[in-house]
Amino acid sequence: MLELLVKEIRAGGTLETRRLAARLGASPELIEAMLEHLQRSGYIQAYVNCVDGCKGCSVRDACSKGAQGVIRLWQSKSEN
Amino acid sequence: MSDCHSTAAAVGPVILRERMPLIALAGQPNVGKSTLFNLLTGLNQHVGNWPGKTVERREGSFVVGGREYGIVDLPGTYSLTANSPEEVIAREFVLREQPDVVMAIVNAASLERSLYLVAELISLSTPLVVILNMMDVAEGEGIRIEPDVLEAALGVPVIPMTATRAAGMQDFCRVVQEMSDGERVFTPRLPEIRADHRSTLDEILHHIAGYVPTPYPENWVALKLLEGDTEITRTMQSALPAEKWEAVYNLLRQHDDALLAIASGRYEWIGRMVRAAVVQPKIGQISLTEQLDRWAAHPLWGLFILAGILGLVFWLTFTLGSPIQGWLDSQVVGGLSGLASQALIDAPFWLKGLIVDGVIGGVGAVLTFLPIMIIFFAVFGLLEDMGYMARAAFVMDNVMHLMGLHGKSFLPLFLGFGCNVPSIMGTRVIDSKPARFLTILVAPLVPCTARMAVVAFLAPAFFGSKALFVSWGLILLSLMTLVLSGSLLNKTIFKGQRSAFIMEMPLYHVPNGRTIGLLVWQRSVSFLKRAGTNILAMALVVWALSVLPNGDLDQSYLVQFGKWVEPVGRWMGFDWRLTVSLITSFPAKENAIATMGVLFGSSPEVGLAQTLTSTFSTASALSFLVVTMLFIPCMATVAVIRQETNSWGWTLLNVAMLLVISVAAGAGVYHLAVALGF
Repeated sequence: MLELLVKEIRAGGTLETRRLAARLGASPELIEAMLEHLQRSGYIQAYVNCVDGCKGCSVRDACSKGAQGVIRLWQSKSEN
Repeated sequence: MSDCHSTAAAVGPVILRERMPLIALAGQPNVGKSTLFNLLTGLNQHVGNWPGKTVERREGSFVVGGREYGIVDLPGTYSLTANSPEEVIAREFVLREQPDVVMAIVNAASLERSLYLVAELISLSTPLVVILNMMDVAEGEGIRIEPDVLEAALGVPVIPMTATRAAGMQDFCRVVQEMSDGERVFTPRLPEIRADHRSTLDEILHHIAGYVPTPYPENWVALKLLEGDTEITRTMQSALPAEKWEAVYNLLRQHDDALLAIASGRYEWIGRMVRAAVVQPKIGQISLTEQLDRWAAHPLWGLFILAGILGLVFWLTFTLGSPIQGWLDSQVVGGLSGLASQALIDAPFWLKGLIVDGVIGGVGAVLTFLPIMIIFFAVFGLLEDMGYMARAAFVMDNVMHLMGLHGKSFLPLFLGFGCNVPSIMGTRVIDSKPARFLTILVAPLVPCTARMAVVAFLAPAFFGSKALFVSWGLILLSLMTLVLSGSLLNKTIFKGQRSAFIMEMPLYHVPNGRTIGLLVWQRSVSFLKRAGTNILAMALVVWALSVLPNGDLDQSYLVQFGKWVEPVGRWMGFDWRLTVSLITSFPAKENAIATMGVLFGSSPEVGLAQTLTSTFSTASALSFLVVTMLFIPCMATVAVIRQETNSWGWTLLNVAMLLVISVAAGAGVYHLAVALGF
């Protein structure tokens, strides 16, 4: 199952965990656990929004708080 | 806890006595391991460091049924592979010290994450007990687990528990006694590995047989070699004769995909365990999310829904916000202007001008669109909180993907919808320097909140009932310009390279009024602070330039400057006032409104919006909005571009490029509109 997930990631494009779960016949929670595993193993990296650069933006406080709570992203490291 | 308590005696360092049954507590970080350890040992614990490491070691003792047990709290680990000092410590302790029981604590609310360590521990010979902690959290999240079924599936004892409330301790004590008395049968069901790797594993086992140093089990070492564990590989390289190591090394090289295959087998095992033991995994919420996502995340319908929602945001803004804005403009700002003019009738001309035209005219005009901003913030806050914004990102990516813009440059660009600054910072994920710099070049084309707010103010003033369609068109124009630039970027720099992004979208849920209220409050306060500082300063500078050197506007520095740049403005249908308003939007986009407030003023009879409507033609108004959407970014964004590129050359190139794009688009739109008779 993890191998299939890596295959999907290597194919590129934007993937969404719930759709991936349906395609791989797993629960979204299991896909999330596998993504965290791949992150620890160095296959992918968590996307971190550089909120420290928002000085001067009128909505910086709320924006950074909101963004982190809404969406979690991983980025493939294979092409880096 | 009746018969399961810490020893009351010593409080100092605990020295685990020989023959005292030893329990090791294992688990991932944040699963409640320390809570259980403290609950069991009370004050009878000792904290130090693991030998030669800076990792904390905690050990203690407790009594069950009159028998004293030693307990060691192992560092939090995700697996038994040597990825970190914590993982090395945990596995070395289990393998070398051979505790009587390993208690693996898992988070009942997140079994999929917690069971990986169990999948490794269960393969060792040490008796294992699984503690299903945080049962209360799981229940709260609608996850129903059947511990008996999980126990049957795993083949090891399972104890449901909520350590924070000491719930489940009786079962814990019973199992501890049964395990130490040898009354529990330990028949674990192990994860499997793929058949082709099974034969490789057997071959490795054959080569290493008799050479594995104690206390490591041969099976486990063979598996860790296949997994590419650095510590075990180094150990076996020293332990094996050269020819044996070469044979093992060749096998490992041929099967470098085994790492994934073994982990994959463990996740399949976890999937089976969870399917067996978890009864209702958040069914209601998931099915609602799936049903809604059939439309909201659909490549085509999702786009229509997104366009509809954007339209709704503007409609709400124009229907609710614009009338309030108009009232504030004519009654409050206009009224204040009138009152201040009367009160300052005998004051020096400069003081009257400073207060009436500079402060009230400039900042007042910006403050009147606070209702518009509040509606913006509230609707976007609502969409964020109910989980829709992630879907918006997903369907937008589909479009960008179709146009050839995807992968690494997408995410930084997406962040720009809130503010261009994090968008520029977000390009740090792009390793290639040229690709990163070119993404920075196009990032300011993403319409940020401040630009959209300026459009929300000006569009109804200029276009009345057609404002909604004009606003839509302006956003579409920005995105089209972005996509065209991005496509060019993709073809020339990225050369079609694809990289993956995986988005974890939240479940839809009922929005929380308090969260949204807080968000609106924070953003509004932030906006007001800016109006009282940066925008006020800019309004005062514009006012000062409009009265210096002798108080006559026609001879002022501002008019001289305006007339000097007016020829460029004429290409786009602007007079000097619109041109100056555009230029002053560089420190902050809202300044365009403040400058208009200073230059056009406001009175109880005629508000700023009405003045603008009667002053400019449709062609000039449309051109101004187009240029505003595509114009050079604000000063904060330019500063970040300089910081991130570390080059004034690139920064100026970016400013020049956007200047050319915006002026060309403005001039094109203006002349087209004039040709069409607007």
